[in-house]
Amino acid sequence: MDYTISAPPHIKSKFSFSSINRAKILALIPVSLASVYFFGMPALGIILAASLAAVATEYSIQRIFKKKVTIMDGHAALIGLMFALLTPPEAPIWIPIFGAFFAIAIGKHAFGGIGSYIFNPVLVAWVFVRSAWGDFMTPASIPSLGQLSDLVLENGAGLLVDVSPILLLSGVYLVYKKYIEWRVPLVFALTVFFFNQTVAFLSAVIGLIQEGVLNPLMYLSTMFIFLEVTDELSYVMVGIVFFGILFLATDTPTTPVTKNGRLIYGFACGLLVSIYGYFGNYVDGTIYGIFLANAIAAYIETKTLPAMFGHESLLERSYKRIMKRIPPSLKYEVISDE
Amino acid sequence: MESKRLKTIPEKVIIPLKQHNGVACKPLVNKGDQVLIGQKIGESVSYYSSDVHSSVCGEVLAIENAPNPDGNKVLSVIIKAVDSEETVAFVPANNPSQKDLIAIIQGAGIVEHYGAPTHTVLKPEGKKIDLVLINATASEWIGGKYATPTEYASQMMDALKLLMKASGALKGAIIVRKDDNDSIEAFEGVKVDGKALRVAPLLGTRRLGHYFKDQGSNIVVASQERILGRNILNFFTYNVTGRKVALGCNPTDVGVAVCGVKSAKALYDAVHEGKPYYETVISMEGAVNCPELIFVRIGTPFKDIISECTFNGEIGKIIANGVITGIAQYTDEVPVTKGTTRITLLTKEQVLRDESLDCIHCARCVDACPVSLLPTRLHVLAEQGRFDECRQMHIQFCIECGRCSFACPSKIHILQLIRYAKNAIEQAYEDATPKESSNLKLGCCGGE
Repeated sequence: MDYTISAPPHIKSKFSFSSINRAKILALIPVSLASVYFFGMPALGIILAASLAAVATEYSIQRIFKKKVTIMDGHAALIGLMFALLTPPEAPIWIPIFGAFFAIAIGKHAFGGIGSYIFNPVLVAWVFVRSAWGDFMTPASIPSLGQLSDLVLENGAGLLVDVSPILLLSGVYLVYKKYIEWRVPLVFALTVFFFNQTVAFLSAVIGLIQEGVLNPLMYLSTMFIFLEVTDELSYVMVGIVFFGILFLATDTPTTPVTKNGRLIYGFACGLLVSIYGYFGNYVDGTIYGIFLANAIAAYIETKTLPAMFGHESLLERSYKRIMKRIPPSLKYEVISDE
Repeated sequence: MESKRLKTIPEKVIIPLKQHNGVACKPLVNKGDQVLIGQKIGESVSYYSSDVHSSVCGEVLAIENAPNPDGNKVLSVIIKAVDSEETVAFVPANNPSQKDLIAIIQGAGIVEHYGAPTHTVLKPEGKKIDLVLINATASEWIGGKYATPTEYASQMMDALKLLMKASGALKGAIIVRKDDNDSIEAFEGVKVDGKALRVAPLLGTRRLGHYFKDQGSNIVVASQERILGRNILNFFTYNVTGRKVALGCNPTDVGVAVCGVKSAKALYDAVHEGKPYYETVISMEGAVNCPELIFVRIGTPFKDIISECTFNGEIGKIIANGVITGIAQYTDEVPVTKGTTRITLLTKEQVLRDESLDCIHCARCVDACPVSLLPTRLHVLAEQGRFDECRQMHIQFCIECGRCSFACPSKIHILQLIRYAKNAIEQAYEDATPKESSNLKLGCCGGE
């Protein structure tokens, strides 16, 4: 009888590159359907054109350069779909086709294919198309959260992805199912949220100082701003920011691999998006913010390489140094180790 | 948990003369000799060797190279078994001294499951042991030989005292798994020096030293999470005692002897019953209809064990030990050795046939690594032969647990590449040190 021999491990997890891509495509289908419902046939045309163009580009590139054709892993279709969702519905049909072509040909393959690109191909294509044909790519309106029903169906949607923030929360399910790693989206979301609250808090404090208020309770009461929903936040609760947090920033090749690096990267994304969004608008802000954060991802990674196992970190060392100084009578009765 | 014996005595057994790391044994029998159960058939020729005993009654068919679960062929004694339970006379030891104990361990052929003969762990040459640990975190090694958990706990405690006596260590500890409630309950009932034991959880920075002082006892039982892997000893020692083991060293260098449950039980039997180590408990895994634990004679070929089970479908892969670190076998003629803890069977459909893709930097391997390495970088460096850079990234800390390869969505053989790099580094390092013949004197005692 023949037995297979191979190196261990003999079982592997069910996640594969194609299953991750398929899960992401599935998670984006609800919002795509909502955009078709809202914008009608042009939206459907854009989504189909971009996805097909992306797959066709990948196929022809891999055939021309005599590489293994990998269109079945779903990555090209995912990039096409993501680019389509970042297109305004008024755009002529050649815009998504060219964008998908540019994303695959330049954004992905010119950098060396999957795993090697340093900028998210979707963002590369979007930034290029936006710079080249700004008229077509400028959304008709910038969405903001007026009433709660806007979370379900946003009437001021400018891009396809803006139509329904709540349907994009399917990405949270992917995080729960571990298709997406939690560190980047969590820190990104917290940063975007607290940036605006902190700005509002600081401006309130500065306002009090300018009025010459001396009562410390007045200053303390400004802390309650953290509990209020500020005006600025209504510009954050839109589809594209959710899309950026859950789908664009979590593109794995453009994220640092170290654990601390991912936390810092999430913070950098949040900070850049917030600054752009605060002074400009959150549609451009999300895309340019994440695009810039991609540029520093490799730097973050090399600066956060984990230390040798069992090595004390700076925090542990300083804690021990402080604990040594404290006289034993003040300490709790802790029996020291060997 | 009850364990079952095989219904029939295997037709022939293959007993390798080297079931440990070190020097192979010298065969004591010749072709055509009659042997009894427990008869010594291989004698150790150096300190780093452990005796081998026959596990059946019968006639020696041959002494030749035969397949071994580690993948190589090893000189083995092949015995044709007869249906008899006749054993040699077992002599229990009466209050043995430290020297006697070491001789008993070597004479009974007691070997750790990770390969080292137990007496070299307890009494390494030129090193002093002051702490003995019994690693009981993998419960499939435990089950089987005991009627009740209490019996298991009290025998383990006796065995620990014997191990401590043999090594001359004053302190000893048994480490059980955190979620293994049966064992924890059993140990809670045991009394040491008139005091009831409390199973102490290893939490945060509290390690064994804390509990030795806290409980005012030289013997403690602690619990921690299970660690799986191939080279886990140093990691285990650090987790339990807080003592760091330098690269290229083993726990005995910091005065810790780590023993398994199996060898502790074997020592208990050797001292109280005089029985040498010729039987072991293994478990079966995979799509088989089998008792969970099987009591087998060392040397039983895998095919005899497999034929006792009803297997659903066609066997695609036979793995000695677990699915994460076990070695796939090319034949079912390999015998159970002292290092075998489990046999895993996979069907043809379960055998993986994936193709490695490019790394997508998803960092699942980084999250999975228990010793905070970066497998995503290491596998690329290993593949390109940049071993020095691997070394700068602490590749030697890898405990070969295989979690990175398990988690990889691109199905890259990360563990294999890391092992390749580790081997290359070890070889380069050995070349660099002067040979014994050279008169060059090193500044330190060898090593770095």
